[in-house]
Amino acid sequence: MENIALAEPTASLSIWALFMQAGWVVKLVMLGLLGASIWTWAIIVDKLIAYARMRISLNRFEQVFWSGQSLEELYRTLADRKTTGMGAIFVAAMREWKKSFEKGAKSPLGLQTRIDKAMDLALTREMEKLEGRLGFLATIGSAAPFIGLFGTVVGIMTSFQAIAASKNTSLSVVAPGIAEALLATAIGLLAAIPAVIAYNKLSSDASKLAVRMEGFSDEFSAILSRQIDEKVVARAA
Amino acid sequence: MRAGLTTSVILHAVALGFGLLSLKAPSAFDVADVESLPVDIVPVSALTQIQEGDKKATMRDKPAPTPTKRPDIVADAQKTGDNSVDTDKPPTPEAKAKPVQSSSAPPPAPTPVEKPREEDVPKPKEAPKPPPATEVAPQPQPNEQVKPDPAKQAEAKPEPVKQPEPTPQKPDAVAEAIAAEQPQQDVQLPDQAPAPDARPKPAPAETAKAPERKDSDKPVKEASSKQASQDKSLDDKISALLNKEKASGGGAKRSSQQASLGGEKNTGGDKLSQNEMDALRQKLGGCWSIPAGVDDAETLKVSVKFHLDPSGQLQDRPQVVKGGAASGPGRTAAESAVRAVQKCAPFNLPSDKYDTWSEIVVNFDPSDMF
Repeated sequence: MENIALAEPTASLSIWALFMQAGWVVKLVMLGLLGASIWTWAIIVDKLIAYARMRISLNRFEQVFWSGQSLEELYRTLADRKTTGMGAIFVAAMREWKKSFEKGAKSPLGLQTRIDKAMDLALTREMEKLEGRLGFLATIGSAAPFIGLFGTVVGIMTSFQAIAASKNTSLSVVAPGIAEALLATAIGLLAAIPAVIAYNKLSSDASKLAVRMEGFSDEFSAILSRQIDEKVVARAA
Repeated sequence: MRAGLTTSVILHAVALGFGLLSLKAPSAFDVADVESLPVDIVPVSALTQIQEGDKKATMRDKPAPTPTKRPDIVADAQKTGDNSVDTDKPPTPEAKAKPVQSSSAPPPAPTPVEKPREEDVPKPKEAPKPPPATEVAPQPQPNEQVKPDPAKQAEAKPEPVKQPEPTPQKPDAVAEAIAAEQPQQDVQLPDQAPAPDARPKPAPAETAKAPERKDSDKPVKEASSKQASQDKSLDDKISALLNKEKASGGGAKRSSQQASLGGEKNTGGDKLSQNEMDALRQKLGGCWSIPAGVDDAETLKVSVKFHLDPSGQLQDRPQVVKGGAASGPGRTAAESAVRAVQKCAPFNLPSDKYDTWSEIVVNFDPSDMF
């Protein structure tokens, strides 16, 4: 029997060797997935830090807010600083309040609506900051496996073509190409799984923070509404 | 955001570095080396057509069975021939030697050799020779005293019976007379002598033997009626008396050539194998246009004989051996059969079996085709 040249059985099957053996399409897919994974983890780390800070700041602000300190003083200390979360909402509302009274606005009817609007706007901005880039995690979570699969399919296609050209169907010839192609799917899953888990956790965290801030804005709105009414009554009297 | 990105890049670098360093190529599976089984494709004829030979020898063009050793002749063997019973009695030695010595005529010696079983037949014929024939019996005499009687009786009785045959005796007598006178002419005599001897053999041989046993049994019983067990020993003795075979290990087919590859025995070596027969049958069936729709089916069965040369070509016009008729459908059938053979003509058959297919008889039977 003719001695058909088989694929070298000593061919390295380490991950690096597999990557280097792959075709350029598969390499591109792998590199893209690696980048997506890096970005995913960057977002995860960033969001975890941001939410932790936000939670701390909310706690501290609530502590200060309900400590009986006068709102004027609180506003004066916060106005100059960069504020986040409830602080930003509080500052937005107080700014609107101040503007209305400093300029001697006579009718308090529109004031309530204006304050509410300012607070809603601040809340939306805060939520945007919190939830920004979570969509990327969702996209990676759902798309990365498909991208990996694409790389695998292309890799298997090319390896089958190579097998057909070599006219040898022994497993040692077939296996490396398929293993190399499957690496793309593996990387896709590696990127997608943390992304999905993180997205679920972070979005639920964000919604919890949003609920807290909405509650605060409602409460603050109620407080301001009471004060407006008191002032109207005082003026009338 | 920068903090997150840097941590992420560091994390990936660490993970990849760890993976590249620690995750080496997976160790190969331990696959036991399984030797591939050699498979031979063996035609049926390899099993059905075996030449005798040695199973482990190399194949040769010319088959040869295993060389056999001539069995040593055992000087004093207990068992002789196919006997199942061990007898202490040595087989009666051949009578050749003594007559040769006594008569001092070498040529007549071969005749008694052929005769020994029908001792009685030749003995009466030759007037001078009876002594050698009777000498056969006397030898056991020293061994057993009982036997001589039946032996003598047996010899005595046939003698008168065969004496009436005058024709064979005369040539013998004359020949021996001549032999005695002229030793040179003895060369011719043996040729003549066996011929007349051979004729009377078949008939008297049976008749002579039958009375022998009866006669021998009866006197024994009369003489020693006390012991029934003696019969068996007597039978053995008698068989020992009658046994003229030399003690030997039995014969064998001789082959001095070195054995070639083959089986234990021949199983139809040169015949066409079933496959080859089928192929031939199928080929002829394809060439044959069957005569259609006639009621007289018997005449449609045709046997055709034809000869082939080693290349498979027809050597002569196929002959209708059996079946067919001079006219009518029978003739059509016969002609169609002959045409079929001619049409198929060069036949592709194994050339090494030419002896078997140099002449072929094919039976054409339309009823087999429907």
